[in-house]
Amino acid sequence: MKMAATASRHTNTSSSAEGAAGSTTGKAVTMKQSPSLAQRWRGVGNLIPALLFLGLFFLAPLIGLLLRGVLEPTPGLGNYEQLFANSAYARVLLNTFSVAGLVTLFSLLLGFPLAWVITLVPRGWGRWVLNIVLLSMWTSLLARTYSWLVLLQASGVINKVLMALGIIDQPLEMVHNLTGVVIGMSYIMIPFIVLPLQATMQAIDPMILQAGSICGASPWTNFFRVFLPLCRPGLFSGGLMVFVMSLGYYVTPALLGGAQNMMLPEFIIQQVQSFLNWGLASAGAALLIVITLVLFYFYLKLQPESPVGASNAR
Amino acid sequence: MSAVIKDPAQQRDKPLVSLRNLNKHYGDFAAVDNISLDIQDGEFLTFLGSSGSGKSTTLSMLAGFETPSSGEILVNGQSLVNVPPHKRDIGMVFQRYSLFPHLSVRDNIGFPLAIRKLAASERDKRVDAMLKLVQLDKFAHRRPSQLSGGQQQRVAIARALVYEPRILLMDEPLGALDKKLREDLQDELRQLHRRLGITIVYVTHDQEEAMRLSQRIAIFSHGKIVGLGSGYDLYQNPPNAFVASFLGNSNFLKLKAQGNAVASFEGQPLSIRLTGGLQLDQDVLLMIRPEKALALSVEQAQREPLAAGWNEVSAKVSEMLFLGESQTCSVVTPGGTAMTVKALSATGMPLTAGDSVRVRWATSDACVYTQWSESDLNKAAGAH
Amino acid sequence: MLLTPNAMGRRMRLGLYLTTGLIALFLLLPIVFIVLLSFGSSQWLVFPPPGWTLKWYGQFFSNADWMNAALASLKVAVLTTFCAVALGLPTAFALVRGRFPGREMLYGLFTLPMIVPLVIIAVAVYALFLKLGYTGTLFAFVVSHVIVALPFTIISIINSLKLFDQSIEDAAVICGASRLQAVVKVTFPAIRPGMVAGALFAFLVSWDEVVLSVMMASPTLQTLPVKMWTTLRQDLTPVIAVASTLLIGLSLLVMVIAAALRRRNEISA
Repeated sequence: MKMAATASRHTNTSSSAEGAAGSTTGKAVTMKQSPSLAQRWRGVGNLIPALLFLGLFFLAPLIGLLLRGVLEPTPGLGNYEQLFANSAYARVLLNTFSVAGLVTLFSLLLGFPLAWVITLVPRGWGRWVLNIVLLSMWTSLLARTYSWLVLLQASGVINKVLMALGIIDQPLEMVHNLTGVVIGMSYIMIPFIVLPLQATMQAIDPMILQAGSICGASPWTNFFRVFLPLCRPGLFSGGLMVFVMSLGYYVTPALLGGAQNMMLPEFIIQQVQSFLNWGLASAGAALLIVITLVLFYFYLKLQPESPVGASNAR
Repeated sequence: MSAVIKDPAQQRDKPLVSLRNLNKHYGDFAAVDNISLDIQDGEFLTFLGSSGSGKSTTLSMLAGFETPSSGEILVNGQSLVNVPPHKRDIGMVFQRYSLFPHLSVRDNIGFPLAIRKLAASERDKRVDAMLKLVQLDKFAHRRPSQLSGGQQQRVAIARALVYEPRILLMDEPLGALDKKLREDLQDELRQLHRRLGITIVYVTHDQEEAMRLSQRIAIFSHGKIVGLGSGYDLYQNPPNAFVASFLGNSNFLKLKAQGNAVASFEGQPLSIRLTGGLQLDQDVLLMIRPEKALALSVEQAQREPLAAGWNEVSAKVSEMLFLGESQTCSVVTPGGTAMTVKALSATGMPLTAGDSVRVRWATSDACVYTQWSESDLNKAAGAH
Repeated sequence: MLLTPNAMGRRMRLGLYLTTGLIALFLLLPIVFIVLLSFGSSQWLVFPPPGWTLKWYGQFFSNADWMNAALASLKVAVLTTFCAVALGLPTAFALVRGRFPGREMLYGLFTLPMIVPLVIIAVAVYALFLKLGYTGTLFAFVVSHVIVALPFTIISIINSLKLFDQSIEDAAVICGASRLQAVVKVTFPAIRPGMVAGALFAFLVSWDEVVLSVMMASPTLQTLPVKMWTTLRQDLTPVIAVASTLLIGLSLLVMVIAAALRRRNEISA
């Protein structure tokens, strides 16, 4: 759910609103003498309630949490040293990155054909595929994860089918380990690849591909030399978004993963809830935030336009 | 006795709206640069200019959506600057109609009356009258999105007129419509103005539209009014080279003054309109409208001697163009000055490229300017 | 060629459709599966179930814990929706209409809760409420949910506000309405789809929120996802499948409402 609107932003922000230029809020009219100050801060008052709310309940606690990493139990960088020096903790970091990497890879591979079909046949077939993607995105995360838990367990349907088909004799262990996490998370991330990628594909002029084939490219050459490079912006921004989201995911890894493949978010919660080690939890949180924000910065760099900027022109 | 006669005349002279030294700055940029203008009661005045010339900003200040950086806006002698837009009692028609999408045509037109808390019966009466006026009685219950562009604009006009404002502002209201529909609505609008006698301030970048509609035109450039007058006067006797090149087409000849009525062009003496204060060898600019000039072949010129008060220069035809109703002939003088001569096709210009010609014009038809800048002469540069 | 189905090679097209069909089934599988299981008679979630029954639904609706959790979820979600729209509406207006320095950065700030991992927000807010002694209160639930719901509401309203031609509002003002009247009578009706979408988003975010809720929960106050979460960790009883089905049903309902609204909007636009 968390990223539903992130993905839908791609399609919605491109519309501009030139109409806003040249009009003002009524208040400014009466302030004849001090245009510079009044106009510089025109309309800023409306921000106050939300700013107050976020400052009090989001920013302040966040900063407080980050401070605990360098203040508890003793002031200094001890928590960070511990985080990187302790091999068990280092494994958590490695695990976090490898799961995020694998999930990104699989969701890209699985999302690409979907986006392609939606673009190829926007009516009929493609509409159904799009609806399925949206349904999956909007369906309760916990419900879907629970479903995978049941599907993947040793006595679950998937093992039964595989055994009935004679592909395996022993049930596969697909839950409470890396396999379970990667399957469950890739599944959840597919929509966040499909939506931006589909928007990119939509924007490709089909004539370019015709030009490619007239120039003598075979369908395969055309695919790898023309089509795929044109899809790159969508692949990049979708992939990056999924990677960032995977780093911070808690529910699915906690339910489908095992004790050996703990990820950073689980680690943070565990430190707080089980060990009351706020200092170490805070160091882990700081690390996660920094990585997330740096990656998100690159993600924004890939975006063609700013979401509020369009109406800025005067 | 004399006071009684004078009174109505005086009232006519007293302007309805006065802009006094109006300025609007955005940072260092002067969108409107010290404009002063009087608008008479009942007149149809058009602000004409290219985008960014300050015409729309001036209109916005009149409406109250922009606050002047300095200066005054007076209506009947009362300052409007501190009056918020909803209390100015001004009507306005916007470029993209700006109808309320969630209201029917009837409710759109009734909106200003509902805001003014008019009794329902009175409201219905006035809305019905307006619907009839703009010929939309049959569409009263439609939503704006179910109307054509022309119909939407009629609703917008009705909505602006229903509360009988003193002044109607129109910001490029026909810009989004196609040419034919635009011309029809222009005619409707002119008749409406004549019938209602309301004061209209109209903004457009289309000079033909300005000519067709307005009694007076104010030409805007770089935040200033550079020409003000009837379309006829501005076209026939442009006050400066910018207006000359902005309105219609023009030929510019660069001359050196040899007296108050004589100047030399590429070494050849020409007579010009009597212009005071010229000094010997001072640069002067001569402007001749293409349709006021004649192009004669050498033989024709020999047959028809030059009449008194006319000038003649020799040139070579570089191109002939047939445009249906009219024909143009582009020529180049020996000194390299390009000129265009335009004639109705019915008159005929039996010339071909390469012919030697004599270009003639009446001295009184050519305007003389002593001050100009090169960019004024260039249409493209003027339309910044 | 590759974007026009008829010009594409037959084999390539067939391969693509087949792959897509399989992936689409993969997407549908867990959703359909869980709905079927909720009607299955097997306590051990055997599939295909030996028979069909409504007894798990009976258990769900007769169990005070589950019902209380569902009720709490509803209460929290409604309050969250209300607060998120009330806070998001003026914010969206300021971000779209305002002309002040740092507008872009402020936009970034307001969408930050969407980017910062939920776990971190949960731990940070938990620490605050622990100190204030507010954990396990309705207030703590609503505040923490509003933090993550707010960006969704703001973005939805911003999107529709940017599509709204402000000269329509100016037209209302010039017709004699004060700026406030114009906003209420003209702008609000025009951006209603964005406001409704923002409200739906906020509702769903809150309704489905697990991590924050788990941290805020107390034995006396827990939402449906928290109850599911704690039950899940003990056993996989089919009652969870019932709860999941209800959650899925609600998502479907919201999707249908959103689609209907979008269609109506397209027609009137």
